[in-house]
Amino acid sequence: MDHETVSESTASTLEVVGEASGEADVSGITDTLIDDELLIEEISIDGMCGVY
Amino acid sequence: MACAGSTEPMLDVALELHPQVALRPEPFGALAYHYGNRRLVFMKHPDVVAVARQLADHPSLSATLQACAIAPERWPSFAKAFESLKSSEIVRER
Repeated sequence: MDHETVSESTASTLEVVGEASGEADVSGITDTLIDDELLIEEISIDGMCGVY
Repeated sequence: MACAGSTEPMLDVALELHPQVALRPEPFGALAYHYGNRRLVFMKHPDVVAVARQLADHPSLSATLQACAIAPERWPSFAKAFESLKSSEIVRER
């Protein structure tokens, strides 16, 4: 078996993957989720026996 | 910052937590229970809880948001949230 060839191809594959992924900017997504998210929610407890 | 205050009148209101309201800390934020009207409200973000607790220490909601380091782009969401809390009597004007 040609181990050098296998490891070289693996390394080249990893390099390609690394370049393709890049740095995703998620800060905007996080801020959007916070803004669109309901900050409060009122819960109705009418009819719940034993709740005072 | 002046722009946020002009579009959301709630930001200029002096508020305080209603004295009959208890806040119970939860992992997601807190539960607010009003012993007078028996309303239960989930505060689904810790920032909302922090702001609610400090309302009485500042002259307006916007001042409280600023003191709690809430980003200005989030102020409209907080204004709507506290408007709803005011409707539920969880917070009140002072």
